[in-house]
Amino acid sequence: MRRALNILVGLILFLLPSFIPFEGLSAAGAITLGMFLCAGWFWISEPIPIYATSLLVIGGQLLFLSKSAPLVISRSFPYAAAEATAAEKFTATLAHPILILFLGGFMLAEAASKYSVERSLTRVILAPFGNAPGRVLLGLMLATAVLSAFMSNTATTAMMIAVITPIIATLAPGDRFRTALALSIPVAANLGGMATPIGTPPNALALGALASVGQKISFSTWMILATPVVIIALALGWWVLMKFFPPSSSVLQLNLDGKFNRSRPAILLYIVGGLTVLLWLTEALHGMPSTTTAFIPIALLPALGVIGKKEIRNLSWEVLWLVAGGISLGNSLNDTGLAAWMIKLVNWGALGPFAVLAGFTGVSILFANFLSHTVTAALLVPIAISLGTSGALGSVESMVFIAIAIAIASSFGMSLPISTPPNAIAISTGLVTTPQMARIGVIMAFAGLLLTTAAAYFFWPLLK
Amino acid sequence: MNPPLTLLCVDDEAVVLDAVVRDLAPFEEAFRIETALSAAEAADIVSGLPGRGLTLALALCDHLMPGLSGTDFLIALDADPATRPARKILLTAQAGQNDTIRAINQGGLDYFIAKPWKPEALRHVICDQLTSYVIACDLDPLPYLAILDTVRLAEYLQHRNPGDS
Repeated sequence: MRRALNILVGLILFLLPSFIPFEGLSAAGAITLGMFLCAGWFWISEPIPIYATSLLVIGGQLLFLSKSAPLVISRSFPYAAAEATAAEKFTATLAHPILILFLGGFMLAEAASKYSVERSLTRVILAPFGNAPGRVLLGLMLATAVLSAFMSNTATTAMMIAVITPIIATLAPGDRFRTALALSIPVAANLGGMATPIGTPPNALALGALASVGQKISFSTWMILATPVVIIALALGWWVLMKFFPPSSSVLQLNLDGKFNRSRPAILLYIVGGLTVLLWLTEALHGMPSTTTAFIPIALLPALGVIGKKEIRNLSWEVLWLVAGGISLGNSLNDTGLAAWMIKLVNWGALGPFAVLAGFTGVSILFANFLSHTVTAALLVPIAISLGTSGALGSVESMVFIAIAIAIASSFGMSLPISTPPNAIAISTGLVTTPQMARIGVIMAFAGLLLTTAAAYFFWPLLK
Repeated sequence: MNPPLTLLCVDDEAVVLDAVVRDLAPFEEAFRIETALSAAEAADIVSGLPGRGLTLALALCDHLMPGLSGTDFLIALDADPATRPARKILLTAQAGQNDTIRAINQGGLDYFIAKPWKPEALRHVICDQLTSYVIACDLDPLPYLAILDTVRLAEYLQHRNPGDS
C-alpha cells in the first residue's frame, strides 16, 4: 500500500514539470526535472531497489531525451530532435571510465576473497600491534580501513566481524569492550572507503561528474586529499570508542595463525594486484590514467585463470549500475540547462564560498545518515557541479573541492543502523545497540563536518 | 524478507518434548518452535505451515513412536520439494542400524543425536544445522547473525559480495 503510494507520488513528480510552464526552462529541461524529482523520490522512499531506480533513469533518458526516442522520432514531442542527445551518450555511462576503475577494484577484491588474501593482510597489519586491548582495537581499525579503501565497505565489515567474533568470545559477556570491538569495524570501514577513488561508490559519483565537465582527478591526488581526513577521523574514532567502552582486561587473546596462500593463481594475483596498486599510486610519475591501469586486473585475472565465470558473475554489478544512473542523471541536468536554471533560483553569490562548502558538506552528512551514501552523492554532486560550471563558485578549483567534499562527507553518515550496510551488520551481531551506535555516529558526523570543511577550505588549496 | 523459520520437535513422550523445547529456548528469539507428539500430528503441522506464512527449517525427531516412525516421517519430508531443504535430525535411543541407514540414504538425515543428550551439545548441533540451512537457502544472514554461528554467517555474507550502497 505504502509502496504503491510512493510509486504513484514518483510518477506524479515525473509528469508534473512537463505540465507547468516554467520561465526559461526548455521542454527537455522540464522532462529532466521530472526525472530528477521522481528518481530522487524513489531513491529516498525506496519503493524499488535504489539500483533499479538508476536503471529506470537511464531507460527514461533513452525513451524521452535521446535522438532515438520514439516520441522524438515521431516528432510529436514538444521539443525538436536537434535538442535531443545521442542515445549512446546515455548507454555509455554503464561503461563510464570511473566504473571501469571500479570494475578493476571489484575484480581484485573478488580474487582477494577467493584466495583469502584479505585475511592474510589483516594478520600482517595486526601482528605489530601486540595484544593490549587498546592496541588491538587500533590495529583492527587500521586493517579495516586499509581493506575497505580497496574493497567494498560492506564485504570488509562482514569479513572483519568474522575475525573479531573469536576475540569477543574470550571476553566476559558484560565486558563493555565487546561493544568497542564490534562498533570499531563499521566506523573504520566507513572511514576507509573515503581514502581511495574505488573505496566506495559516492567517490565514483564525484569523480564521474567531475570527469563529465573535464576535471580529471588522479588516483593518487584523491588519496592525498582524502587520507589525512581518514587518519584524523580514525584516530578520533578510536579515542572515542576507548573512552565510551574501555577494556576491563589488560590482554586480549589473539589468534593470528595461518599463512599466505602459495598456490599458482594466488601468486599471480599478488603480482597483478601489487602492480595495479603500485601503478595507481604512482600515476604522477608515469601518467597512465587509473582507468587504464584498472584494466590490467580486468584483462589479466580472467586470462591467467585467477578468477573465472563464477567470480565474474559474483561481482556487484548493481552497484556499478547504481552509480551509472546517478552520473547519467547528473549529465542530463547539465546538458538540458536544467541545472543552470535551478541555480538561478538561489542567490549563491550572497552566501560566499565558505558557506556554500560547509552547507554542501553538512547536508551531505545529514542525508547520508538516512539515505544511501551513493544516493546522497547522486543528489548533491550534480548541483555542486552546476554551480561550478555556472561560475557561481568563483573558481573551477572550488567546484572540484566541493564535489570531493560531498563524497567524503557522505561516508561520515554512520549514526544509524540504516545509514550504511556495515552499520546494519554491526547491529545484527547483537553486541551494539542503536543508541550506542548513534552516540558514536553523531560525534563522527560533527567531526566529519569540521574535518571535511576545514580540509577542503584550508588544506586542499595548498596542494593544488 | 525471510519467512519466519520454524523448528519442529517430535517425540511421543511429553516429558522429553518439554525438555527439548526448554533446551532450545534460546532459539525462540529468531525462530518459531512447534511441537508434535506423533508423526501424524507433525505431518499435519507441516502441511499447515505454508498457509500460516511459515517455513520448516529443521525437524528434530524421535525414531520409535506409535504409528509412523520418525525415520519414515523424515523420509516423507525429504520426498516433498517444499520441505526437502529443511535440516533433519534424529534424536533417539532406539533406532537400529537399518533404520539409521534408511534415514541417511532416503531421508536426507543431517545429524544423529543419541539420547540422553547434553543441552549444550544439542544447542550446538541445532545452531550448526540452522546455520547450514540459512546458507544453503541463500537467506539474508543478518537476522540470524547474533543467534547462529556468527563466523560462518559473516564469512558467507562476505562471499555473497555485498556492495556498498
